Amino acid sequence: MESPERISLLELSKMPVNPLVFWGVITVALVVVMALILNSIGVITGVYWLILVPVVAYLVVMGLFIFYLFKLYAERNRLMVEKIRREETKVGEFKKLNQDLEFYAKQLFDKDFELTLANKRLQNLEQAKSKFVSVTTHQLRTPLSAIKWTFHMLLGGSLGVVTDEQRNFLQKGYDSTQRIITIINDLLNVDYIEADKSDYNFLAVNLAELIDGIIFEFINIAESKKIKLSFIKPSNRLPSVVADPVKISMVLENLIDNALKYTPRDGRVTIDLSDARINSARPSLEVMVADTGIGVPAVEKDKLFHRFFRGSNAIRLEPDGTGLGLFIARDIVEKHGGEIWFESKDGEGTNFHFTLPIFK
Amino acid sequence: MDNAKKTVLIVEDDEFLRSLTAKRLEKENYAIEVAVDGENAISVLDTLKPDIILLDLLLPGKDGFEVLKKIRSTETVKTVPVVIFSNLGQKEDIEKAKALGVDDFLIKANFTLDDVVAKINKLTGK
Repeated sequence: MESPERISLLELSKMPVNPLVFWGVITVALVVVMALILNSIGVITGVYWLILVPVVAYLVVMGLFIFYLFKLYAERNRLMVEKIRREETKVGEFKKLNQDLEFYAKQLFDKDFELTLANKRLQNLEQAKSKFVSVTTHQLRTPLSAIKWTFHMLLGGSLGVVTDEQRNFLQKGYDSTQRIITIINDLLNVDYIEADKSDYNFLAVNLAELIDGIIFEFINIAESKKIKLSFIKPSNRLPSVVADPVKISMVLENLIDNALKYTPRDGRVTIDLSDARINSARPSLEVMVADTGIGVPAVEKDKLFHRFFRGSNAIRLEPDGTGLGLFIARDIVEKHGGEIWFESKDGEGTNFHFTLPIFK
Repeated sequence: MDNAKKTVLIVEDDEFLRSLTAKRLEKENYAIEVAVDGENAISVLDTLKPDIILLDLLLPGKDGFEVLKKIRSTETVKTVPVVIFSNLGQKEDIEKAKALGVDDFLIKANFTLDDVVAKINKLTGK
């Protein structure tokens, strides 16, 4: 803040100088004129006026100067008082601001406390949910196993000969049970993701071999829908990727299962494994699962990887499904440090891609 | 095939699952012994040395892990192959069981009894 001295000097320099000079000159001139008149009419003569004129002029100028200085001091005081008053109002304002600040700080502290409590409650709730999912799904799996095995034994003829019609119904029963089990397994997987229970087991994996094995599982389904299922391998040998083979199998099974499910008869599902070491920042291999299926409607593209989301056209075609497969797939690929994406044309097909880094 | 039937001990508390498994394995010409809980399994093993043990994890009283520990520390049966057959199948459970020395871990809902038979045949060298 500025000191009063500096203010006064500042103000002094701004004061008009003209009155001093003006009155000085006028007074000297008047005294000289008076002296000349007095001299001419003979009131004063000789050496008197020579002394009188400078003395009077000096006194007048000094008087004026002192008067002017007093005025300057008065002005300075006035300015200082004004300044102090301004500072006082500012101090008042600061005090008020400080009070407000204290008030808000206290509010903030209270809110923070509330949020901490709420967060704690949420964590407890999340744990309870996780526990609930885990217990119920495990409990559900026991009776489901019993139903599944019964159907399986009946289908296998170990409990007596079954007719074709009976077999047909038993197969449907078996398939439905299998579907519930898949849904329960998906729920468990999602619970695993959300509870962030890490259970990855990274190994060097030969992706081409892994894909070969998985395609083998789908040959029957593809044939029954007359879909051409093929795997395009690169001509040269590719390095292994660092991956959890169980998890990556889940991703591949999911993508291939979706492709087969949402591709009409006589369509094509092509799996392509390629080297993405050159055009990516991180040395990786890329897998593509391309189909000639129903595609993803343009407006729904952003939501495809969301938990529980299913494409509207997919629901029409296949009412059952949890909408968890791609959510799980994305989580798995990302935990490997890879990326997953797709391009699709409504009604023409979808190409899913994912990459897996060669080094962890 | 050797004329002595191989013996499978099934430790399973759910009666229906137990009878289904027993029925399926009997068809494969195995001799079946059953235990309905952990305590029961341990007392059965006092007098019996089966060729393989099919062990559930969630059992009333002593659970499958405890039974497994007991098996692996009992001189007469410590080398008998044990297959966990349970609906618990999270990584922790599998790892805990592996650390205790199981030969395989099957999740009931994800397999059929045919898979179990195949596994048992393999482990008993049938």
